[in-house]
Amino acid sequence: MFRYIIRRLIYMIPVLIGISIIAFITMYAAGDPIALIKAGKPNITQVTLEGLKRYYGLDKPLPIQYLSWLSNILQLNFGNSLYGGRPVNDIIAPRIWPTIELQVVSLLIAFAISIPIAVQSARKPYSKQDVTITSLSLFGVSMPTFWFGLILIIVFSFSLGWFPSAGSQGVAGFVWWGNPLLDQIAHLILPVAVLVYVSLAQNIRLIRANMLEVLRSDYVLAARASGLSERKVVYGYALRNAITPALTFLGIALGGMIAGAPMTEYVFSWPGLGRQYVASTINLDFPTIMGITMIITVMTLIANLIMDILYVYIDPRVRIR
Amino acid sequence: MKTENSALNKTPKRRSASQWAVAWRRFRRNKAGVAGLIIVLAVVFVGIFGDFLAPYPAYPNLGALTPFNHGDVRTPPSLKYPLGTDVGGTDVLSDILHGTKYALYVGVVVTIITMAIAIVVGAIAGYFGGWVDNVLMRITEVFLVFPSLLFILVFVKVLTVGAGVGSSINFLGLSIPMGLTIVVLVLAIFNWPGDARMIRGEFLRVRELEFVEAERALGANNRRIIFRHILPNILSSIIVVASLTIAYAILLEAGVSFLGFGDVNTVTWGQILENNFSDMRIVWWAEVFPGLAILITVFGFNLLGDGLSDALNPRLRD
Amino acid sequence: MTETLLKIEGLKTYFFTEAGVVKAVDGITFDVRKGESLGLVGESGSGKTVTALSVLRIVPKPGRIVEGKIEFNGENLLSKNEKEMQSMRGREIAIIFQDPSSSLNPVYNVERQLRDVLTAHEKKMSKEESHRKVLELMNLVGIPESEYRMREYPHQFSGGMKQRVAIARALALQPTLLFADEPTTALDVTIQAQVLDLLEDLKKKMGMSLVMITHDMGIIAKMTTRVVVMYAGNTYEIAKTEDLYEHPRHPYTASLLAAVPRLDRKKTLSIIPGNIPNLIEPPSGCRFHPRCEFATKKCEETPPVLEEVEPDHFVACYEWRNITLKGESSK
Repeated sequence: MFRYIIRRLIYMIPVLIGISIIAFITMYAAGDPIALIKAGKPNITQVTLEGLKRYYGLDKPLPIQYLSWLSNILQLNFGNSLYGGRPVNDIIAPRIWPTIELQVVSLLIAFAISIPIAVQSARKPYSKQDVTITSLSLFGVSMPTFWFGLILIIVFSFSLGWFPSAGSQGVAGFVWWGNPLLDQIAHLILPVAVLVYVSLAQNIRLIRANMLEVLRSDYVLAARASGLSERKVVYGYALRNAITPALTFLGIALGGMIAGAPMTEYVFSWPGLGRQYVASTINLDFPTIMGITMIITVMTLIANLIMDILYVYIDPRVRIR
Repeated sequence: MKTENSALNKTPKRRSASQWAVAWRRFRRNKAGVAGLIIVLAVVFVGIFGDFLAPYPAYPNLGALTPFNHGDVRTPPSLKYPLGTDVGGTDVLSDILHGTKYALYVGVVVTIITMAIAIVVGAIAGYFGGWVDNVLMRITEVFLVFPSLLFILVFVKVLTVGAGVGSSINFLGLSIPMGLTIVVLVLAIFNWPGDARMIRGEFLRVRELEFVEAERALGANNRRIIFRHILPNILSSIIVVASLTIAYAILLEAGVSFLGFGDVNTVTWGQILENNFSDMRIVWWAEVFPGLAILITVFGFNLLGDGLSDALNPRLRD
Repeated sequence: MTETLLKIEGLKTYFFTEAGVVKAVDGITFDVRKGESLGLVGESGSGKTVTALSVLRIVPKPGRIVEGKIEFNGENLLSKNEKEMQSMRGREIAIIFQDPSSSLNPVYNVERQLRDVLTAHEKKMSKEESHRKVLELMNLVGIPESEYRMREYPHQFSGGMKQRVAIARALALQPTLLFADEPTTALDVTIQAQVLDLLEDLKKKMGMSLVMITHDMGIIAKMTTRVVVMYAGNTYEIAKTEDLYEHPRHPYTASLLAAVPRLDRKKTLSIIPGNIPNLIEPPSGCRFHPRCEFATKKCEETPPVLEEVEPDHFVACYEWRNITLKGESSK
């Protein structure tokens, strides 16, 4: 088990390097940054351009640029922003936690809710209850995430005024619901609701499908035949088998969720990496773009790793001797 | 032994037993799938005739800041403008109708490109196996792990900075917007790995079936096996995935446009949402209804895909 | 006359599917006596497995027991509620399934699965006690290195060993009645004999009744003292095994016997013409009539009922008096 984790961590490294190379090549091969800056600011003088070139080390050959960038990255120095010149670290650092907070809270809630719902749905397939849930799930998967966020804002924030519509904290001294902690929660509710609903839909569909198959299996029948209580049969025997295929997919979905952070954060003006990424990309601020990309990739890989470990823990057939 | 075949002679006449006929009958009974088909057909209809159905003509959407229709900016839904007007004064209903063809364009083209690449890659990997398979799978794995949306945004931005404003090319008599096409290409580039894996899996599965061995024993060469034997068996999976990919592509394009990376001159549904985002408090109708259009369309394709899946790959429902 | 342990009368279990109502078991009657080995023989689809599942009342949806009587030790099983049935399952009545690869849960180790059965009925068992009992069970079914292997997972066992585990699970609480549903069909031929011997051995040791469900006439001959012949959801002949082999009274039974290939005699392989009937729209009257060479008009119209033709030998056939059937002389 332990060896498995180590092996997976080692495996992550070449993947990270691969991604960093791809990211690097993407940014630079997509267009000479100097030309792009010029396209954005046509009045810029040649001298300034040359100066920028030297400042950002863009006059050195590509591999050298890559290596120096990489070594900087490893020391957690992401360089300076092309847009304003601030160190990228200063831009990224305070935005990491809000993104993690949003993702983790949403994932935990979504997971916790989806399991009982999916199980109950699978136990009485095609019943009224099940059909309603299945339809709602399909609905949820068909909905543009950001649009759902917009709807929630329009209804609950603008119309009803129950929740704040933007940001992660109250501004200008105004605190929602009395104290700072509740203020945080108030701000979390709508964005979390959006993320939860969408991933809830995906989770439920997947787990329910697997449960339906598992509930037909011989070992579930045998467990019933041995006199085990219904609860034990369903939650102990069936569920454990049904979840494993769902986990791999969940790992990918989680990666998708993290990568989809830009949408939700943009809609709710949530001060996280996603929203920053959108702004930086519009400005073609490459150092920041790269920095955020690497961080999000690391987060995704870690999330996948956790999922893989869970998988191996639950399903012993996968353990390699 | 003498046999009295009285009961055997009474076997009822059999209905058409071709695979597709059976699947169609199954599909017909799936209410959800049929509903999806109806929605999709309706959307396609609007896509083709949208320009004629819309009460107001399409207008080049130069940032949507120009009052267009008699200066009726930001009016709520009324008889004159059934779904209201947006910040630029354009009728929301017309915008939605005009935008339908773009949504379909995105969905279909992304799917075609994705499927083409995915089938080729998946077939090679799944059929030939070995190191070819390994290499291809590593590549797709990298694609799956990293955050595609982030890369999509960057690619689109970088590629559209250079592209001309409002340019379009003439293809078979239709005017195809460049900006949107760039988005379509980028989406396809990042979408094919997922489908390639699925197709490779299917190839592996079918390859191991006995009839393939039998064919080989009869002397069929690789190409014949792939095209005449394996592909037809995979066709049903491909159709299902295609339907779902169309749904996914439409959603993704909406998101990309919404974040501001779309083609500003092409009024896709996502673009409408982007234009009116800052004024959302007032022109909520311009945010709600285009999104609803997206929702219904995607929902339709998803239902269709699910229905097809049920009909073509029957699982034992009892 | 030995006492009756299980009495089934007119049992009907139907499956309500999209395609129609599948009458898997359509009025069967037989009994199982204390301490006997009863064979339940028939082709696939004859309803043998569904019968066993009906007794345990674990028939999967969309199946349901529609009519009939099931009495176990004098108690009416059909009137019990779910909790009461749960207490009977595993404890009084148990079942072994055909394929141990699918009847054992792949994600739990063997000890856990055996312990689950033990604790399902005795909630307060301590870890040490259950561990000891599991060890005993594994030794009982002949699994070597039991202390070590009980922590392993099903996929780490061979087919024969897996089935032994399944047997251990079924016998954990020493039930009085055991259904063995084709327990050796999924195993290699060489292992089959071992498992059958084990079953025979354990049955004697524990003094329980065994219902051997199979389509293999060879197993019937080896393992059973009495046989019930089923076809398309009905019972057609019940007799002592010897009697059945030497003097079969039902054409179907005779066909089954004749279809067994033999190495010691020159014999053309005989087949039973026709197909297994459609259980949604079964043939009228006697379900076997389309394939029976002796069928008459009456056979087509009304289904025959079981009559006692000799002491303890029952047949459901209108023509039994008029036909002579070839049996198998004792080997």
